[in-house]
Amino acid sequence: MIAVEGLRKSIRNGARTVDILKGIDFTVPAGQFVAIMGSSGSGKSTLLGLLAGLDTPSAGDVRLNGTAISYLPEDKLARVRGRTVGFVFQSYQLVPTLTALENVLLPYELNVEGSERDGEQRARELLESVGLSGRLDHYPVQLSGGEQQRVALARAFILRPPIVLADEPTGNLDSANGSHVLELLLRLNRVEGTTLVLVTHDPVLAGYADRRIVLRDGIVIADELQQPAELAVR
Amino acid sequence: MASLSYRSAIRIASRELRFSRGKFFFVILSVAIGVAALTGVRGFSSSFRAALLDRARSIMAADLSARMFHQPTPAEQKGLDEIAAESVQMTPVTELLSMASSAKTLDPLLVSLKAVDPTLYPFYGDVDLNPAGKLRDFLKNDTVVVADDLLVRLRLNVGDSLKIGSRALRIAAVVTNEPDRLSGNFATGPRVFITQKGLDSSGLLAPGSHAGQRYLFKLPKPTNGDPISDKAVADLKDRLEKLLPEAQITDYRETNPALTQGLDRATSLLSLMSLVALVLGAVGVAMAMRAHLEQRLDTIAIMKSLGAGSGEIIRIYLIQTLLLGLMGGLIGVAVGGFVQMAFPYFLGKLLGVPTVMHLQIRTVLTGLAVGILTTLLFTLPPLLDIRTVRPILILRRAVDEVSDPFFTALWKRVTKNVAQIAAVVLILVGLAAIATTLSDSAMVGRVFSLGLVVVLAVLLAACAALLAGLRVFLARTRLHLPSAVRHGLANLYRPGNPSAALLAAVGLGVMQIMAIFLVQQAVVKDLHLSSAPNLPNVFLVDITSSEVDGVRKLLKLQPSVTSEPELLPVVSSRIIAIDGVPATEVKLKNFPRRMLQTISLTSFTAAPEGTNVVEGKWWPASEDHPVVAISQRQAERLGVQVGSKVTFAAQDAQIVATVVALTKADGQHTYSRAEFILPPAVLKGLPVVWYGGVHVDPQRVGELQRSLYQNYPTVTVINVAQVLETVRTVVVQIIYVIQFLAAFSVFAGIVILASAIAGTRYRRVREVVVLKTLGATRARIAAVFSIEFAVLGLVAGLVGVAFANVITRVLLGRMSVPYHFYVSWSVIAVLATAAVTVLTGWGASFRVLSQKPLEVLREE
Repeated sequence: MIAVEGLRKSIRNGARTVDILKGIDFTVPAGQFVAIMGSSGSGKSTLLGLLAGLDTPSAGDVRLNGTAISYLPEDKLARVRGRTVGFVFQSYQLVPTLTALENVLLPYELNVEGSERDGEQRARELLESVGLSGRLDHYPVQLSGGEQQRVALARAFILRPPIVLADEPTGNLDSANGSHVLELLLRLNRVEGTTLVLVTHDPVLAGYADRRIVLRDGIVIADELQQPAELAVR
Repeated sequence: MASLSYRSAIRIASRELRFSRGKFFFVILSVAIGVAALTGVRGFSSSFRAALLDRARSIMAADLSARMFHQPTPAEQKGLDEIAAESVQMTPVTELLSMASSAKTLDPLLVSLKAVDPTLYPFYGDVDLNPAGKLRDFLKNDTVVVADDLLVRLRLNVGDSLKIGSRALRIAAVVTNEPDRLSGNFATGPRVFITQKGLDSSGLLAPGSHAGQRYLFKLPKPTNGDPISDKAVADLKDRLEKLLPEAQITDYRETNPALTQGLDRATSLLSLMSLVALVLGAVGVAMAMRAHLEQRLDTIAIMKSLGAGSGEIIRIYLIQTLLLGLMGGLIGVAVGGFVQMAFPYFLGKLLGVPTVMHLQIRTVLTGLAVGILTTLLFTLPPLLDIRTVRPILILRRAVDEVSDPFFTALWKRVTKNVAQIAAVVLILVGLAAIATTLSDSAMVGRVFSLGLVVVLAVLLAACAALLAGLRVFLARTRLHLPSAVRHGLANLYRPGNPSAALLAAVGLGVMQIMAIFLVQQAVVKDLHLSSAPNLPNVFLVDITSSEVDGVRKLLKLQPSVTSEPELLPVVSSRIIAIDGVPATEVKLKNFPRRMLQTISLTSFTAAPEGTNVVEGKWWPASEDHPVVAISQRQAERLGVQVGSKVTFAAQDAQIVATVVALTKADGQHTYSRAEFILPPAVLKGLPVVWYGGVHVDPQRVGELQRSLYQNYPTVTVINVAQVLETVRTVVVQIIYVIQFLAAFSVFAGIVILASAIAGTRYRRVREVVVLKTLGATRARIAAVFSIEFAVLGLVAGLVGVAFANVITRVLLGRMSVPYHFYVSWSVIAVLATAAVTVLTGWGASFRVLSQKPLEVLREE
C-alpha cells in the first residue's frame, strides 16, 4: 500500500524557488494499478521520484507498506527501495557494462542474501517470459530499445516487489514495441500481484489503469476510479 | 543485511574497465609513469649512489678510521676484538718518519714510512704500482714499495736495496697512487710502504717512537645485496668513539667534503624527483578518476534506485581504483626496471662508472605499493562524492541550488563534506608519510609536503579569484568581445567544468617540474664549482721563508702548473691550556692528547678562499689582538666555543687567543689545512714554514717533482693528483646523472600533465555536439577551446613558476646552495605551460571534434 500525505517539493533555481508539488494526498491500496497523468512540467516525475524515495520531499510524507520513507537516511532508503519497489524508466536505465542477465540479476545481488543460483534461475525465467531467452548475454548496446525496456521490466520484477513504479515506460518506443512492453508489464503485474503506479501523459495508456490521478501545476486536479480497458492480446 | 558480494563488485568494476579502455588508458598511463619514474630514478640512484660511495670509501681505503698515538690498552683491545668478532674487518696502518739510506751510497734521506698488512690494506680502492700489480704480490716482509721521488733523490732503481733502521729491504715497485693519501699525514719525505712485520723487524718501533697509528675498519656487506647503510657506519663510529676516547675517529664521508656534499645534494635532489614523479602520477589519476566518476553518475543513480547503498557502490569503484593502481603499478615497475637497466647502458660510456645494477625487490615492491596507495589516496575525494549522488538524477537533471548566506553555506558545506575534508587530511598525512619514507632526506620530505599544502591552498584560492574575476569581466564586456573569446572564457567558469581542479593540477605539476629544474640547475652549477679542474692537487711541504719567493717563481714558470700557487705560512706550536685548564687535564672528545703538542698555526687577514665562517665573526684587517679562528670540527673535539680562550705556545712565546670564529673549509684548497688561524700581527716574528698547493697536469707531476728537487731539495712534494682526479670525476658523474634524471623527470611530468588534460576530453563531447548541431565549425570550436586552455595554462604556469621559485629557494637554502632568479627560464616556463596545455587540449579534442553529432546523441 502507498500512502501520500501533504507532499510538497520545491527546488531552488538561482534566486527563484520553483514549487513543483504543492501538497498531494492519496492512498493506493495493494494490487491497484494507478495511472498518474499530467502535461509536461505538472510534477509527475517528481511525484514518482518521491514515491520511490529517490528524492526527499520539502514537506509531507510517503509510506510504502506502512514504512515512512521520506526522511530515512540514504542507505536505509536504498534498502527499502530495493526490496519494496521495482522500477521501469522511460530511458530504460540499464547498466551499460552488464549483460541482459546481469542487469536483471543486479537487484538480487544487491538485496538478497544467499545463493545467486536461485536469483539466476528467476532472472532466466523472467527474461524468457519477456521473450529474451536468446539475448541473455547481450549488452544493452547490442539490444533494440524495445528489448532494453523488456530487460528493464524483468529487472523490475526480479525481487517480486509489492510495488512497481513505471515512468513513461513506452515513451521511447514505437507503437508496436510500446504495446508489447505494456502488455508484458500488465501481464507481469497481474501474475505477480503487484501495486503498479504508471506515470504517463498518454490517455490511451492511462485507460488500462484501475484509477487515474491527474496533476496540473503540482496539485491533483482529478482522482477517479475507472473501468480498465482491455489490452488486445497479441 | 544483504550486500553486493565482492565477486559481483569485481565483475562490475572489471567490466567497466574493459568497456572504457580508452579512458582508463590515461589513468594507467599516469600511474605507470609515476611508478616508473619512481622505480627507475630510485633504483638507479640507489645503485649509482652505492657505486659512488664505494669510490668515496676508497679515499679512506675503509669505512672508518681511528687515528691514535698509543697501542690499544687491554680494555680497548678487548673491545676491538669484540667488534672484529662481528665480521667487521680491521687492519692497522702505522705511519712514522724515519731515515732511510741507499745500501750503495749510504746517503740518508728522511722518509715517510707507512706500514700496512698488504693482505688486507686497502679495504677499498687500489694502490697503483709500477710495474702494475697487486700490493700484496709486491710488498713482502723483505721488500718495500717506494715513491718515485725516493728513487730520484737516492738515485736508486727498482730491485736495489734500501736500508731502513737495521734492515736492508729490496725495492719491489714504485707506488704511483695510494688511495688514502688525503687521509694520512702530509709528512715530510717520500713515501715508503713496508709490511707491519718488516717494520717490527727494523727495530724502529722503540717505545716512545713518534709513530702514528690508524686502524682501518670495514663493515660487512649486508647479505641481501644492499649497500652498507649510513646508519651502520654511524653506529660503529659511535661505538668506536666510546671505546677509544683518545682516538680521532673519522668516517669515509668526512674525508672529502666536496664528494660527500655532492652525494648529499644528489640524494636530496633524487628524492625530490621521486616524490614529484609520484605526486604528478597521483594528480593524473585523480583527474582521470574524477572525470570517469562524473560519467558514471547515471549508473550510480540506477544502482542506488535498485537498492544499492553508497558503501556498495564505493566498493565497486574502490576495486576499480585498486585494479587501475595495480595495473599501472605493474606496468610502471616493469618500465622502471627497464629504465633502471637502460640508464647505465646509455650513460655507461659517458660515465665509465662500474655501477652494478640489480633490480632490488624492495624498490619494486615500494614502487608498486606507493603506486596503489597514492592512486587510492587521490581517488578518495571523488569516490566519497558517490555518497552525494542522488538517485533522482535518473528522473530529473535539475539539481537544487543553495542560496544560503555565505557563512551558512560555508558551514553547510563543511559539515556536509566532513568525509571529504577528512580525506584531504588523510591524503596529506599519507603523502607526508610516503615522502618521509621514500625520501632519504627527511628535510626534502618535510619541505615537499608542507609546500604541497600551501601551494594547493593558494592554487585553489587563485582559481576561485580567477573565475570570479572572469565572471565580472565577462559581465561588463559581454557583447564587446569576439564570441570565440567570450565562449572560451565563459567555459572556464561554466558549472561542471573541472577548470578549478585542472588549474590546481596543472599549477601543481608546473611547480614541481620547474622546482626540479631550478634545483638541478643550481646544484649542478655549485657542483661544477667544487669540481673545478684547477683545484690544488699537488702539495708542497716544508718551504722555508727564504725559499718561498723562489718556489713561487719556479711554480709560475712551470708549464705543467695550471693554477696560482696557494701558499700557507705555518707556525709550529702546541696548546698548553684551554680556558685556563692545563692541556693535561683538558677534556677532549676523540682528540689524541698528544696532538695538542703539534698544532699548526696560520695567519691570514681575511678568511682564505674556500673557508667559511659558520659561527662568530672574522676580524678586521688591522686586528692585532690575539684572536683565533678554529675549524668547527677541531673546536668540537677540543670542546671550545666562540669566546673560549686557548693558550698556544710557540717557541718561547705564549699566546692567549680568544676564539672569535668557527670555520668550515671546503677541503678543496690548500688553505683547508689551516685549522687554527690568527691575525698576521699576532704571529709576527715567530719562525714560519710554508706549505703550498698547486694544480699540476696529473700526467706531468714527475716533471715538477724533479725540477723542485733540483732547486729546493728539502721541499717535499705530495702528489694527490690521482686521488683528486677520482673525486672530480665522481662529482662530474653526479652532475651527469642529476641532469639526466632531471630531464627524465621533467619529461615524465609533462607526459602526465598532458594526459590529465587529455583525460578531460570526454566531458567536452556533449558540448562539441551541441555547438556543432547549432552550426559551429570545427575551427570555431577549436578556437574556443584554445582560448580556454591558453588562459588555463597561463594562470597555472604563473602560479606554478612562482611557487617553484619559492620552494627552490627554501630547498637550496637548506642545502647551502646559492639561489638565483632566472627571468628568462620563468618566462619560458609560463609560455611553455600555455603551449603544452593548448597543444594537448587540441590533441585530445581532435577525435571529439571529428565525431558526428548523431553518434553521440544516439548514445545519450
